[in-house]
Amino acid sequence: MDESGNQRGYFAQHINDIREYNRIAGIAEIARRYMAMNAFDGILTIIGVLMGNYLAGVRDAGIVVHTGLATSIAMGVSGFWGAYLTEAAERRRDLVELERILLTDLGQTKIGRASRVAVIIVTLVDGLAPVLAALIVLAPLFAARLIGNVLVSYALSLAVALLGLFGLGAFLGRISGRNLLGYGLRTVVAGLVAIALGFLLEGVGL
Amino acid sequence: MGNLRRLVLDVLKPLDPSIVELVLFLADLEGVDGVNISINEIDRRVENVKITIEGHDLNYQNIVQTIQEHGGSVHSIDEVAAGKMLIEDVATSQD
Repeated sequence: MDESGNQRGYFAQHINDIREYNRIAGIAEIARRYMAMNAFDGILTIIGVLMGNYLAGVRDAGIVVHTGLATSIAMGVSGFWGAYLTEAAERRRDLVELERILLTDLGQTKIGRASRVAVIIVTLVDGLAPVLAALIVLAPLFAARLIGNVLVSYALSLAVALLGLFGLGAFLGRISGRNLLGYGLRTVVAGLVAIALGFLLEGVGL
Repeated sequence: MGNLRRLVLDVLKPLDPSIVELVLFLADLEGVDGVNISINEIDRRVENVKITIEGHDLNYQNIVQTIQEHGGSVHSIDEVAAGKMLIEDVATSQD
């Protein structure tokens, strides 16, 4: 009982620390931005993969899933690497500037720790957001055998993608305190444009 | 030993964490009866503040450590008082 109480106390302390780091380093705001931006990229990229496979006449769900997974992994790696390098460099520069003004080493202070935690959280969000978004969109193709018809799986995947885009738009609308429907429709239009351009490519014989 | 009752420090600190957060952390320290932080000067990223702490058996090391933990740097100790009672600065004819 005592041990579980201690564990709860330890856990609560960590949560409080992360809340404080968030206040100091503004982690939630930048993570939210990365999440929306990269999930949007992830969904649109998978729409591209779906359209490419569909128009190339691929009717084997396994091939689409493999292509989609490989693309998702590449997006995830790109997200991790890119966010880590840029965020670590930016945060380091910020900390060094503050250290120069204060004439003190901030590495072992709450500010230094908040900066390091921010890099880790933002890197994870940036890497995982496109992968998770892509996996959700690919779900109907994972379940192609259950669905029974690969064309229905394609259509369902595109529908999930458009729904995901609408959700992201609505999320951005909520953050900005503006019209959820308007923002949702704007992001859906991006998906529809990607789909339409895919069909257009086929139309011009590419 | 001693019984440090009052400390007045000149501190340069980042704007974040704010003086509201810092004053609460200092007020939670053992022996502290009250804390006041007032702003002397605000810059783009830092602020110069005067921290006045009163209490019983104040632990100077803990106080400085808490300030440093929040990114602050103690520039000078501007006033101290210790002993059985609190003695205010006395004006003399030279003043």
